[in-house]
Amino acid sequence: MILSDTDRKILHRLQSNLPLVSRPFLELSKELGIDEDTIIERIKFMIEKGYVRRLAPIINTQAMGREATLAAVKVPEDRIDEVGAIINSYSGVSHNYLRKGRNVDIPYNMWFTMSAKDDEELKSRLKEIEERTGLVVRSLPTTKKFKIGVRFKIY
Amino acid sequence: MTNKKEDIDVKLIKHIQEGLPVTKTPYKDIGQALGMPEDEVIKRLTKLIEAGKIRRLAASIAHRKIGINANAMCVWKVTKERVDEVGNIMAGFEEVTHCYERPTYPDWQYNVFTMIHGYTDPECEAVIQAIKEKTGLKDYVVLYSEKEFKKVGVRI
Repeated sequence: MILSDTDRKILHRLQSNLPLVSRPFLELSKELGIDEDTIIERIKFMIEKGYVRRLAPIINTQAMGREATLAAVKVPEDRIDEVGAIINSYSGVSHNYLRKGRNVDIPYNMWFTMSAKDDEELKSRLKEIEERTGLVVRSLPTTKKFKIGVRFKIY
Repeated sequence: MTNKKEDIDVKLIKHIQEGLPVTKTPYKDIGQALGMPEDEVIKRLTKLIEAGKIRRLAASIAHRKIGINANAMCVWKVTKERVDEVGNIMAGFEEVTHCYERPTYPDWQYNVFTMIHGYTDPECEAVIQAIKEKTGLKDYVVLYSEKEFKKVGVRI
């Protein structure tokens, strides 16, 4: 861990919207009491070192007209790498995790999110995965959102 | 994406979705690359955020790298009539980063999904305990990740 208090302050603020003004980092410098050049230099450092994955628009797939779902599959232990590779080959797959129930056994072990340009494309891709793997893909699209906003407490 | 305005918005998003230029005047620099004046870049991004098409123009953090090593996907079995009440309670926790309702299947009865992030496992466990106490829910599963196969931001 090589982040200073200054870095953490910048990082915390960067999780909320960057000001939409000509000099956004100058605006941040007034908010944070850190000068503009330092802010720019530290952000570049944190991107280069991989603390910040990217400073970019976080896209609302549905509002952009895209459809998305969380899908779950029961993959036999000896086919995990093979099936994982098939699923990850789709560009619409943004997350794919192997999960286990801590307190209760669950019927699926591979969990991935997929987005597509519309519902038809989404369904056909999931069906294609079923055909390519011979496994059942359970689709669990969001029916109601209570919170979406990965902002971490940084301290 | 049929009309021209949206085509330009898509072009703009595609240009910056891997990262904004980290310079004194990022919007001017984006505009120069796309042949668009700075104030048009700012206006379009403002509108995209207002319309909810862009959730945030912000940093995506490699949370594990900054020490937020623990995460738990906790799924809850909630009766239809309590979904709203319970969902809002869960969303009120700072450590709960996502909270959704999803459909059930004969072999899957857990309809409310929460994603919890913390610096340590006990921190996540404490949040789960607090949710149980505040909601009175007893039927839940903590799903922990054994392996991360893929994690990238959503692109268009």
